[in-house]
Amino acid sequence: MKPVETRLVRLALKGNQRAFAEIVDLYKDKLYHLAYRMSGNRQEAEDVVQETFLRVYRSLDRYDMNQKFSTWIYRIATNLCIDRLRKRKAVYSLDAESTDREGLDGYAMLPSDDRTPESELLLSETQRIIHEAIATLPVKYKSVMILRYLQDLSLQEISDVLDMPVTTIKTRVHRGREFLRKKLEHKL
Amino acid sequence: MADMKCNVAVMNMHDYLDGDLSREEIIQLQQHLRDCPSCHTRYEALERTDALAKCQPIEKAPEYLSDRVMKSLPSPRRPAAWTTWVRRHPAMSAAALFIVVMLSSFVSMWNQSQEFSVSGQDLEHVVIQGKKVIVPEGQKVNGDLTVVNGDVQVLGDLEGNLTVIDGNLSPLASTAHIAGQIKTIDRAVDWVWYKVSSYFGTLAYGS
Repeated sequence: MKPVETRLVRLALKGNQRAFAEIVDLYKDKLYHLAYRMSGNRQEAEDVVQETFLRVYRSLDRYDMNQKFSTWIYRIATNLCIDRLRKRKAVYSLDAESTDREGLDGYAMLPSDDRTPESELLLSETQRIIHEAIATLPVKYKSVMILRYLQDLSLQEISDVLDMPVTTIKTRVHRGREFLRKKLEHKL
Repeated sequence: MADMKCNVAVMNMHDYLDGDLSREEIIQLQQHLRDCPSCHTRYEALERTDALAKCQPIEKAPEYLSDRVMKSLPSPRRPAAWTTWVRRHPAMSAAALFIVVMLSSFVSMWNQSQEFSVSGQDLEHVVIQGKKVIVPEGQKVNGDLTVVNGDVQVLGDLEGNLTVIDGNLSPLASTAHIAGQIKTIDRAVDWVWYKVSSYFGTLAYGS
C-alpha cells in the first residue's frame, strides 16, 4: 500500500492545489516544531516552514517516490535551519555590538519574542528546563537530537535526512544525550 | 562476563536506549548495572533524560501559517483547462481544429469573391460586357462555365455545366443549349457547400 503522501504528491503534480494543502496540513506542525526548536525564534520558524513548503512545491517532480516523503521534507527543512543558523552566526560575530540587526541574532531575540502561545505557558518547569537544555546544544548535536526526540525518527532515518553515516548519527545521539544529562543533573 | 568495563557499559546504555542492543547484550548490561552502583545511577539519569526529552509537547504552528504558505506558492502548476481537454480528446481536437481552419479559409474566400469573375476552359467564345457574360447565338463554348458576381445570358451552345454564383441567369433563349447541369448559387450556405464539394472533388479527382 502506498503511503498517503505519495498519493497526495501525485495529485499535487497533476495540479491539485487541495492535495498540496493537505500535505501542508500534515507537516506544518512537525516542521514548525523542528524549525522552532532549531532556531529558538518563532518568526524564523514560520519563515523556515514557508520556505520549506515552497521548495517542496517547486521540486515535487523531482521527489523520488521510493524514498520516504518525511525524510525528504525533513532534509529540506533541516538544511534550511542549519543554513540560517550558520548565517546568523556569521552576522553575529561580524557585528556583535550592532543592535539594529534584530532577528538575526536568535539568542538576543528570544526574550523579546512576546508571542507566547498557551502551550508555552502550560509548560512545566521540567519541560522548560529540557527545552532550554536542547536550545543550548551545539548545532550538530541539536539537529540530531531534535530529529531523534521531537520527531521520533530512527537512527537510520536521521542518517537519511542529514545525509551522514548511521555510525556518525549514533555517536552524536550518544554525546547529545550525555550533554543533556549533564545539563539536567544540576537542575532536576 | 560479569566484569564488564564501565565505559563499555555506558556505550551499551546508549545503544539500549536507541533500541540497538541484542537480547544477550541486554542481559549482560543488566548484570553490570546490578553490580555497579555508579553505572546504575548513570543509567537512571540517562533514561530520565531520554523520557523527558521524548515527552516534550509538540509546538503547533500558528493557525494562519497554512494560508500564508498556500498563498506564497507560485501560480498553480495546473495547466489551462482547455489543454487538459485537448489531451483527453485528441480526435475531437483535431476535428475542431480542422473545422476552424476550413471555416477561416471559406470566410477569406467569401470576402475575396465580391469581385466579378468568369472561369471556364473556353473563354474565347464568350462575350463579356461589364458584369454580364454572354454566350452568343450560334457560338459553341466547350467545357464548363462559372460566373461569380455577374449575370449570365446564354444564347448559343454550352457543352458543359453552368454555375452562377451570386448572380442572375437570364431566361434561356430558344436558341440556347446547355449540355450539362445548371447551378445557381445565391446564399452563403450553398456557396460553402459548393466549395466543399468542389474541394473534395478536386481531392478525389486530382484536377
